[in-house]
Amino acid sequence: MPLRRRSISYSRYGYIFCLPFVLAFLVFSLYPILYTALIGFTDLKGVNTREFHILDNPFDNFKNLLFENELFRKSIVNTGIIWILNFIPQLGIALLLTAWFTNKRLNIRGQGAFKILFYMPNVITAGTIAVLFSSLFAYPIGPVNSLYQMLGWSSEPVNFLLDKWTARGIVSFIQYWMWYGHTMLILIAGVLGINPALYEAAAIDGANGWQQFTKITLPGIKTIMLFVLITSMIGGLQMFDIPQLFQSGGPDNSTYTASMFIYAQAFKGQYLYNRAAAASMILFLIAAVLSAILFYMLRDRDAARTKKEEKRIRKAARAQGGVTHV
Amino acid sequence: MKRTLALITAIIMLASLIAACGGGKKDNNSGSSGSSSSSSSSSSSSSASGGSGSNEKVTINLWSFTNEIPNMTEKYKQLFPDRNVEFVSTIIATTDNAYQPALDQALAAGGKDAPDIYAAEAAFILKYSQGDMSDFAVAYADLGLTDQMVQEAGIAEYTIDIGSKDGVLKALGYQATGGAFIYRRSIAKDVFGTDDPNTIKNEVGPGWDKFFAAAEKLKQKGYAIVSGDGDIWHAIENSSDKGWIVDGKLYIDPKREEFLDLSKRLKDNGYHNDTQDWQEAWFADMKGTGPKKVFGFFGPAWLINYVIGQQAPETAGDWAITEPPVGFFWGGTWLLANKEVLKDEAKKKAVADFIYWVTLDTSEQGLQYFWANGTMVDGEQGTKDTVASSVVMAKSNGELDFLGGQNMFDVFVPANKFATGKNLTQYDQSINDIWRAQVREYTAGNKSRDQAIADFKSTVRDELGIDS
Repeated sequence: MPLRRRSISYSRYGYIFCLPFVLAFLVFSLYPILYTALIGFTDLKGVNTREFHILDNPFDNFKNLLFENELFRKSIVNTGIIWILNFIPQLGIALLLTAWFTNKRLNIRGQGAFKILFYMPNVITAGTIAVLFSSLFAYPIGPVNSLYQMLGWSSEPVNFLLDKWTARGIVSFIQYWMWYGHTMLILIAGVLGINPALYEAAAIDGANGWQQFTKITLPGIKTIMLFVLITSMIGGLQMFDIPQLFQSGGPDNSTYTASMFIYAQAFKGQYLYNRAAAASMILFLIAAVLSAILFYMLRDRDAARTKKEEKRIRKAARAQGGVTHV
Repeated sequence: MKRTLALITAIIMLASLIAACGGGKKDNNSGSSGSSSSSSSSSSSSSASGGSGSNEKVTINLWSFTNEIPNMTEKYKQLFPDRNVEFVSTIIATTDNAYQPALDQALAAGGKDAPDIYAAEAAFILKYSQGDMSDFAVAYADLGLTDQMVQEAGIAEYTIDIGSKDGVLKALGYQATGGAFIYRRSIAKDVFGTDDPNTIKNEVGPGWDKFFAAAEKLKQKGYAIVSGDGDIWHAIENSSDKGWIVDGKLYIDPKREEFLDLSKRLKDNGYHNDTQDWQEAWFADMKGTGPKKVFGFFGPAWLINYVIGQQAPETAGDWAITEPPVGFFWGGTWLLANKEVLKDEAKKKAVADFIYWVTLDTSEQGLQYFWANGTMVDGEQGTKDTVASSVVMAKSNGELDFLGGQNMFDVFVPANKFATGKNLTQYDQSINDIWRAQVREYTAGNKSRDQAIADFKSTVRDELGIDS
């Protein structure tokens, strides 16, 4: 029997160092979240009131939001549309750039400079960009309008910002432009974690670039992809700064997102904190459900299968009676 | 060496963690914007003052959304150096509605840093003088500023109406913002043959039918009468009989509903350049560089001096003002004081003195005299403006070179009488935004008239919780 070496456990220092963060989190993040959840069931409104009462029908706020409040439903739909319009090109370009940048054969020079340039839009504040695009598409006089008239595409100024899908497209484009560099960097980091021997073996066996990409790279970055999808989805659900500063909800509420709705409920008009809290909770549930779906879809099937196998063998061995080392 | 470096870095990081009070999490595109962060970035902390000086030095916390009133405090201290007050100003602009939430939180929190004097603009003054936040404001009478003084100063009626709750005066403005029709002399001569304000007055009004008749005449010669529908909106908004909320429910006054039709008429007939106010194209029309030259704008004195004067200085002398088709007012700033100042005798006196000087002092030392004559800065002729006190305007010189030598007080003093403060609600800013967005959809042809009104009602109900 090998000597059982007593190893010194440093784990308690880990706990101690984590403590400040955990305390701050409990006080400043967890408590407000629980309090918000509580307010969703009450009638707290008005800027001055401190006391509130649980409603007789606790789910009143939720019912009102889901079934009677058209604007809330619209805002969720808008959030979904703008996020999808933004995310698919973003992921597409990010994967493409990742494939090029990590391709040993292409060996692109000046990768550092490219990465800086691609990441740059993320550094510029949202407010500046929103105002920039708002003035670019200004009506009746604006740069894009002047361009249209110069090229002869239209004789009269076109009000771009009054068209719903144009406004949504612009907001999606801004989000895409701001975040594709970030996504690309994370995916590159993920790809660098894949064993290069796999690529060499595949090249020897005659796999071309596309096959290498789909069969080796994509499965290899599954975990990183999960991270990208979840953070992007959460960020997309919370989209606020760009649509708010661009057109304040856009032509006829077409770029009105869920976060803007919550902000308006809580801070414009009658300070309806209870409805805003209920809306926040609904948003939270949506995020939780979608995250669960993503986790399930991208779970590690092999690891799950091996675990199941082990369990089966152990059970069988126990049934037969005997010691197993698996 | 390495160990000391590591130790120092660790201590700094710990210190920043404790100081940052935040838990250190960052979200992607985090929502619920920085109303708190904007106030902390632009406010000056009151820890600066209060240390030195005698026992009587009073510190007044002043909250405003422009630097107009803080500049007044400089003049005040210059005129009365013996009054021994120190002003700590917090300025948060009203863009993106950032001012109101910050002010509300500061008032509700109370304490030493609570605002002692705060300003509110016409767009949201009602909330602070009559509405949800009115309990924080002290009555002027409690400060020693009686109704008698208000009458003697000849303050415009609408200013008093807006600043009073159930007959108790809580806020007064220093500017009077009765509106006039501001037009280009050269275009007037070209189309109407004369630029005399009295003649033009009868060409464009009274009433909207005459206005559109004039618009047709202007169109024949290739001019637009106004820049966008926003120009006539302010006149319509303020001349309606009732406000947006009657008996707690949303109410669309027929005169405001008429705006849908008037705006469509302007658009269909090409009487305007379809601009939106406060955007690039609107300013371009002031310079006359838009697709069609624009005849006039609706606005009070501050539009002339601070907007058109700033945007199009090369057109100076080519403007004149006359009575508008309907009377209205637009904008203005009201001053309120926090009820908490009553607790401290010295502070109460200091606050009362300053507010008196700004709103009710009709002498040549009072703010309004300087403001009306543009003599705020010694030795410089600054911009003149209409003030709330008709007494002051009567003894001031309102001649402006920008208006080709016309005395603007001649038109604005009666215009202030037209303005009414009885048809406003505290939610006006938000409701107006929604209304104008729907009107824009209708005039662009994206919706039917009934659909626009229905969408307006449903958005106000869903966003602000006001039923109809």
